[in-house]
Amino acid sequence: MLKAAYRIAWKDVVGDLRRSSSLSSMLFFAVAVLVVFQAAFEPDRQSAVKLLPGLLWATVLFTSLMGLGRVFQAEEENGAFEGLLLASVPRGAVFLGKWLGNLLLTLLVQAMILPLTMILFNVDAWHVIHLIFGVLVLGILGLTGLGVLLAAMTQAARSRETLLALLLLPLVAPLLIAGVQATAGVMVVDGHPGPWIKLLLIFDTVYLALAPWGFSWLVEE
Amino acid sequence: MVHLAVTGLSHRFGRQQVLRGLDLTMAAGECVVLFGDNGSGKSTLLTLLSTRFAMQKGRYLLNGLDSADSGAEIRERLVFVSHNSHLYGHLTPVENLLFFADLRRLQCSDELLRETVSAVGLGKFADRPTRWFSAGMKKRLTLARVLLAKPALLLLDEPYSALDSQGVEWLNSMLNDFLAGGGMIVMASHDPQRVAALKHRPKFLQKGSLFDSKESANC
Amino acid sequence: MNFLARIQRPLGVVALLGLAYGLWLVFNAPIDFQQGNSVRILYVHVPSAKMALFCYLLLTISSIFYLWKKSETADIIAEAAVPVGAAFTAVTLASGSIWGKPMWGTWWAWDARLTSMLVLLILYFGLMALRSSLDEPGKSAKATAILAIIGAVDLPIIHFSVVWWRTLHQPPSFGGASGTPTITGALLPPLLVMALAFICLGAYMVVVKAREVAARRQLEVLDLERMENND
Repeated sequence: MLKAAYRIAWKDVVGDLRRSSSLSSMLFFAVAVLVVFQAAFEPDRQSAVKLLPGLLWATVLFTSLMGLGRVFQAEEENGAFEGLLLASVPRGAVFLGKWLGNLLLTLLVQAMILPLTMILFNVDAWHVIHLIFGVLVLGILGLTGLGVLLAAMTQAARSRETLLALLLLPLVAPLLIAGVQATAGVMVVDGHPGPWIKLLLIFDTVYLALAPWGFSWLVEE
Repeated sequence: MVHLAVTGLSHRFGRQQVLRGLDLTMAAGECVVLFGDNGSGKSTLLTLLSTRFAMQKGRYLLNGLDSADSGAEIRERLVFVSHNSHLYGHLTPVENLLFFADLRRLQCSDELLRETVSAVGLGKFADRPTRWFSAGMKKRLTLARVLLAKPALLLLDEPYSALDSQGVEWLNSMLNDFLAGGGMIVMASHDPQRVAALKHRPKFLQKGSLFDSKESANC
Repeated sequence: MNFLARIQRPLGVVALLGLAYGLWLVFNAPIDFQQGNSVRILYVHVPSAKMALFCYLLLTISSIFYLWKKSETADIIAEAAVPVGAAFTAVTLASGSIWGKPMWGTWWAWDARLTSMLVLLILYFGLMALRSSLDEPGKSAKATAILAIIGAVDLPIIHFSVVWWRTLHQPPSFGGASGTPTITGALLPPLLVMALAFICLGAYMVVVKAREVAARRQLEVLDLERMENND
């Protein structure tokens, strides 16, 4: 089961790197978003520190949405998803594979976005960058878990990218709140990120438990 | 000896009845070709035999395995070549076959994969992404899975489409070999001429039931 | 469905009478010392907020039942509960906003309850959009049911995190955690009557919508059969 999941994830990651389509467009989209934020808020050094968690998470959310919109794109050409479901692999493993692939790609992009944001906004938080990235990872676990399920749900829908955003944004509101607060918490010396990190963990646990179950129901006919 | 037995198979989509109490039995090495109009339920029947759709009513046995409790085992013993090629455009033929083999838990060496790709006439393209392949090449590669998996049951939905006359000949000889090895084929087709070279039993699907001849189907 | 047809009219009549009596009580209730006349809108705000959540509860139960038993009736009720719930959520938000203007001085405050309600409204719209943009009837029913259940699990987390966010991070500037006053004494009877009337109204709306959905599906089947027979 794990091997099948690993294979599916491998295929997605390799496919993406080979076409390098998702990865580079996500990255440049992130840069564009950051430029928009800079133009819209024109933060000075002090307010940039206060704004950074929010800007960072908004960028993460928008770029993830972009990546999620493509999770099932390769599966749809030639009806490959049908072939995946025809294999005697448990549905949970198929979900796990799709999720892992998306998780890896998203983490890769976020690992580049984080320093980029700090450079572009002149925020000196390099000594806690590992903590900020840790918070990002916690958030992305749940975000991609729920996101891949919703991507599967909207795969056959008309105007699916808009629909995916409409469904995902309200449901990840807690994640966004907790992520921003926890990031702000680790950035200052006397911050209290503890409760927010717990909330992130609750969110991750709930969604990573629910999503494979929902996926199995969804694809069964 | 009966290897495939379907009894009382009915299926509906929403409130639309597609199959009505259909029976089919097959022995090893036998090929059944389903003829019928568009929308007569050929694809639905094939999809049900592939266990992709859950059975709503009826019983389905393959080599003594009951789909009600051994769906996964039945799945491992069949290959379904549908309208879609199920190929990933960014992977090469060898990688596509490797992915297929891994999902089936088949142990395949690189040489075996390359031999298989050559056997279906795509040796020259073994390391090119399949995105650029023509429909006929994709069909050949899809059929390479049969050679790799050696299933007990092969389900084919309009396999001759996209193949040129040379390809049709090649496919028929491959299918004849498959039947000689004891495999079973259920094929949906609308083209009696192309299957003529294949020893088969025709069946006619009309209004959700199977008939042995076209005349009885139209009654 | 026959049962629904039979209870539709009595429900409507009871809802209408209840609303009339409730409103009469509301306008004869004593004016609140602090809030003046604007307190009267709470008699609409509180029951509709309860109904917005109650519709979601109905949606969740029928969604579970649909996935479990594949019952089409459960799916029809689920489809009917969504727009009704969305309507009550919208009324809750509008009335909360109207009440907030004299109380808070602004039309909108990122108060924990209002924020959760806004998220609920988006979720209702998402459910409607998902159902209408999937063409295969079985697929859209299944996807909507799964989304509804996920939303049901998420709503408490959303509410909890928003409350936490508004109270721990930036203490609200107006009174208590959400600013809604406690209602006691003479204010209670009109509220109870209004609550009962709203329950009947909500049930009536779900019944009307469910019958419409059922009729539309029946029509689609008839259309399909007619097309087949014309061949």
